[in-house]
Amino acid sequence: MTGLDRSRPPDEGEIRNFAFPEVERRTLATGLDVRVARVSRLPVVSASVFMRAGESALGETSAGLAVLAGSALEGGTARRSGTDLAEALERIGARLAFSTGWEGTSVSLSCLAERLEAGLALLAEAVLEPDFPEAEVARSRDQQLAGIRQRLKDPASLAADAAARRTFAAAVPYARRLQGTEASVTPLGRSHLHGWADACFRPERGGLVLAGDVDADEMERLADTCFGGWTGAPSAAHGFAVEPGTRERRIWVVDRPGSVQSEIRVSHVGVSRSDPDVFPLTVLNTLLGGAFTSRLNLNLRERSGFTYGVRSHFAMRGRGGSFEVQTAVGTDVTAAAVREILAELDGLVSGGPTPDEVEAARDYIAGIFPLRLESVGQVADLVLEQVVYGLEDDYHARYRDRIRSVTPEAAWDAARRHVRPGEAQIVVVGDATAMARPVEALALGPVEVVGPGD
Amino acid sequence: MGILSVPFERRRLGNGLRVVLSHDPSVPVVAVNLWYGVGSRNEPEGRTGFAHLFEHMMFQGSANVPKNGHFELVERAGGTLNATTWYDRTNYFESLPSHHLELALWLESDRMGWMLPALDQKKLDNQRDVVKNEKRQRYDNQPYGDWDERLQRLVFPPAHPYHHTVIGSMDDLDAATLEDVASFFRAFYVPSNAVLSVAGDFDPGRVMDQVDAYFGEIPSGSPVPPLPGDPEVEERIGGTVRDDVVADVPLPRVIMAFRIPPYDAPGFTTAEVARAVLGTGRASRLYRRLVRERRAAKEVVSYAFPLLSGASMLLVWATGYPGKPVAELEAALGEEVQGLTDAEDAEVQRAVAVLETDLVRSLEQVGHRADLLSMFELYFSDPGRLNREVDRLRSVSAADVRRFAAERLGADNRAVVTYRPKEAP
Repeated sequence: MTGLDRSRPPDEGEIRNFAFPEVERRTLATGLDVRVARVSRLPVVSASVFMRAGESALGETSAGLAVLAGSALEGGTARRSGTDLAEALERIGARLAFSTGWEGTSVSLSCLAERLEAGLALLAEAVLEPDFPEAEVARSRDQQLAGIRQRLKDPASLAADAAARRTFAAAVPYARRLQGTEASVTPLGRSHLHGWADACFRPERGGLVLAGDVDADEMERLADTCFGGWTGAPSAAHGFAVEPGTRERRIWVVDRPGSVQSEIRVSHVGVSRSDPDVFPLTVLNTLLGGAFTSRLNLNLRERSGFTYGVRSHFAMRGRGGSFEVQTAVGTDVTAAAVREILAELDGLVSGGPTPDEVEAARDYIAGIFPLRLESVGQVADLVLEQVVYGLEDDYHARYRDRIRSVTPEAAWDAARRHVRPGEAQIVVVGDATAMARPVEALALGPVEVVGPGD
Repeated sequence: MGILSVPFERRRLGNGLRVVLSHDPSVPVVAVNLWYGVGSRNEPEGRTGFAHLFEHMMFQGSANVPKNGHFELVERAGGTLNATTWYDRTNYFESLPSHHLELALWLESDRMGWMLPALDQKKLDNQRDVVKNEKRQRYDNQPYGDWDERLQRLVFPPAHPYHHTVIGSMDDLDAATLEDVASFFRAFYVPSNAVLSVAGDFDPGRVMDQVDAYFGEIPSGSPVPPLPGDPEVEERIGGTVRDDVVADVPLPRVIMAFRIPPYDAPGFTTAEVARAVLGTGRASRLYRRLVRERRAAKEVVSYAFPLLSGASMLLVWATGYPGKPVAELEAALGEEVQGLTDAEDAEVQRAVAVLETDLVRSLEQVGHRADLLSMFELYFSDPGRLNREVDRLRSVSAADVRRFAAERLGADNRAVVTYRPKEAP
């Protein structure tokens, strides 16, 4: 090749189509929803069971029970100790991951395809026949309590927990730390876990997702062998409406003496995963703080040098969610950073995004979609999202088209409704003696200095 | 045939740039990945952290690309990108829809060839602030955040290139000048000190022409300067060296490290398997004994760092429970590590099976595949090593692990950093 013109970006080549993997749905006689995504690249598979056994179904006094029950599943079954279960899995190179969130508990298997039959049987045994032996429960509980203690010393966790508590009204589960408190977790024992598992480790309103080079008919038979006797519905969820703690903008300085940075969170109540504005908000968030070249990052990092990075995020959950800006900045520029974050939010709401920004954000989100689907684990996670949030079967197949159809007007409209800097709760974790006064001088609202536990 | 058969082709351009191609059209994405043979080990005294600061400067534009143009164009194309700096190397990478392959080639070649014309003091000052905030966020403001600084000082003598951390010191970051950036670029960012890998969906008939068009006219530079300091060290530390810290941390923690053979020495594979027997998975020794049975540790971690210069290190750490003496935790951890002298066949087989699945799964992403190919080419001139990784791991026997434990995991080769919470016993 000669005469290469380096002065401008090259023309793009021929675009190749990308389709979301085909997903086949089967329902077992017992009601278990089985979804199989065929991905034939490497000989690996991913299988996830989701059960409607989440923290949002719990009241404040038992906060942390769902998380504990999920992690204590590794403690073994009536037939096998925890060590034996781990050895049976790892001998064949398989791994189980246990994860509990607000909506439920999922148990995920990853292994080589030729090991799926043995691996899935072990997954089913762990979920259907947990024994919760006393010593293992005590161990998992001590780990969870120690983890809570770690969160109180880690500035980012401290900021996240403090922001949740100020954002949501006290009765909303999302106001809590997912792992519960020392008071709610300490009394939990074997009988609580058995009670919870009996009530909530049930197939209905949950599902089984498999992704890999696998055949749907065969997977249906395998699921039936492993889960065929599993029946029932989880007990009713704890009902709640998502309300903000206050609509008055307030600043909370969490004193962490000696900090060399301030962790900042600016947040307010957001939307649920089923909100009609999900797509405009996804585009909007990308240009505000969801990509490297977003407004917030170009200002706070690339122009001002205040931070290593800043992000914004709509956490969209089953019943509602939050909008949050998060960053960590040098102590001496704390007030300036808070001021710039609010200026960016105000500017976005009053002036709206430019058509070029919206186009760039749409191109980015639609373009990276195939990169979110390279591994069987990633595919299984997205299909599982359909189960967890009750999304349409073609949700991900249509995802990129729906992103591409977001107009600048729709994005601005969504900003005006869902970005409300006047209602923000501003949490700053850092050395209060060094930064509380300059933050107060911004005159953004009442300032309260609190301790890490408050 | 082994379980892995990743296809690849090797080429070398006239200017010395090594190229590895790995075709896989199953998804319309492509990864472009560059490894430069420069890292914190190449930093002279007084410039710790500079290789990483330099990596940031590579995103501040080049002759034909404006500041942040790299991020703007790749994100707009629907791609992801980043870079990382480590002891022996610095890597830069993009994964993007395959019809944008040339964009990545253009961006990477422009900064490999013509980064200096875009350099100015304002950009350096800005990125110095960014990196200082990265250091604060990831190290200085974190409980236990200074552990690797303390540990590296114990494991490697002052003259050794691994005596200091990748992130470096604030004073050294402050001291960096524009001239440092320019001379570092001229010394290390030359085609003959780099590997370019392209993996995923590309046109096999055209890709070499495309690579050659963008990278071929970059002038070849001089051979890179020798390492500062002295990488030669004794095989063992020669005792137990320690640093006991009382700090504002939530839980007691013990970190133990051992000198092991470097990544390119035959003995390294045994170290890799030994560390997996110890700490990879819930059936590993440390998890089973310390976390599950003795309930002495809340969590355990193990690593074998793939380092090249003279020696590397194997590292284990255990985090204890509140109120428990850190000395008890250290004794328990030491006992279990040394106990590896009775490692059994079944344990080694389990460890290898888990490593094997982890390796295969990591190859699902073209970006990671490209990254491994670059590493194997840069370190071993042998990208085909990727397809032999499983065999390499399988070649380790329980007897090898036992011998390794006896030779390397004893009190004569141990560096210990302990953290005791300020307000606890």
